[in-house]
Amino acid sequence: MTSRQIISEFVIEPGTGKAIELLKGQILRIEQIEGGQCADFNCFNLHDYKEFMHCGRTRTVHGFHPTTGTFMWSAPPRERAMLYILEDTVGRNDVLFPRCSAYVYEASYGFAVHTNCHDIQAEAQREYGLTPDDVHDSFNLFMCTGVDQDGHAFMTRQTSKPGDYVDLLALMDVLAVPNVCGADVMKTSNFALKPLKLTVFAATEADLAQVPSVPKLASQRTPRDFKNAAIKSDRPLRRDPTYKAEFPNTPIVLTELPISFAPDELAIFNAMKRTDIYGDDDAAALRDLLFSWWEDRFLQAHAGAPSIGSK
Amino acid sequence: MTDTVVNLRLNQQQLELMDRTIAQGVAPDRVSLVRLALREYAAVHKAGAVTETAR
Repeated sequence: MTSRQIISEFVIEPGTGKAIELLKGQILRIEQIEGGQCADFNCFNLHDYKEFMHCGRTRTVHGFHPTTGTFMWSAPPRERAMLYILEDTVGRNDVLFPRCSAYVYEASYGFAVHTNCHDIQAEAQREYGLTPDDVHDSFNLFMCTGVDQDGHAFMTRQTSKPGDYVDLLALMDVLAVPNVCGADVMKTSNFALKPLKLTVFAATEADLAQVPSVPKLASQRTPRDFKNAAIKSDRPLRRDPTYKAEFPNTPIVLTELPISFAPDELAIFNAMKRTDIYGDDDAAALRDLLFSWWEDRFLQAHAGAPSIGSK
Repeated sequence: MTDTVVNLRLNQQQLELMDRTIAQGVAPDRVSLVRLALREYAAVHKAGAVTETAR
């Protein structure tokens, strides 16, 4: 790793962020200087800002705390791996919480103005012509979170130390936007705001060789595939009088498939069917059993997540 | 005892998934696939749940 060439270095001070052009094959290191600082992070395709990192897709693939060996994915319908987490010396990141915002600090703490990740992101992104509405859901580096028994997300103090870092390898040209989380009255950054160091490296061959291959599928669509590829440029929504719905695979048509069960098979079915959910609707219960079996036997990813080659 | 018929109702996407599974050689036809699913699912999730007395 020592042979990596440094391309640029920055320090982002408390209350600030920095938009960085990170080209394919470059690594952004986000590093603790004093320790205990959360970094919120946004990421856009540098050549098409409408493709941006999607925490929802990322957490379905990699769980609530993505770390070394996972990807940051763009939102549907693009769904491409944008960045690869090459190294993470702490291993505790968050994709549950949204960015903190001015509203949070006004509503809960009474601040008329307070450092907050939304506004910091918006100000950093403004350098590239983006607006406050373009800030997207945040990947929260070093943020220690979980889900309590009532189903609420919680945050607690973090344990990162000076010199801890996360290395993000760009798999496409991106605008990477880290910011020093503005939360100094929450546990997020242990009740203090500290600077973070950013370093951009050129990846080595050894770095690139660590990236697992991911599928390239026709369903990863781009504007070339869109019925309306032009970006809407005004704010009001008005109905298109020429619109004609073209929902794929519609109409959905049901076909009956009679299944004749011998007494022994019926006994198995009766023992297995989910009457707690389907009552006496045996057809629904059998359908559930069929596709639950299919998931068990053939699905290579967690249910609802795309397969990227490993479970 | 006579056989009992359950009328599965599946849409075209669900049938497509079944047919692609059949094309892999998992079962010769749709009905066979459902029977296989029943046996394998029961074996994994509730082995021994069905007794001989139920036959």
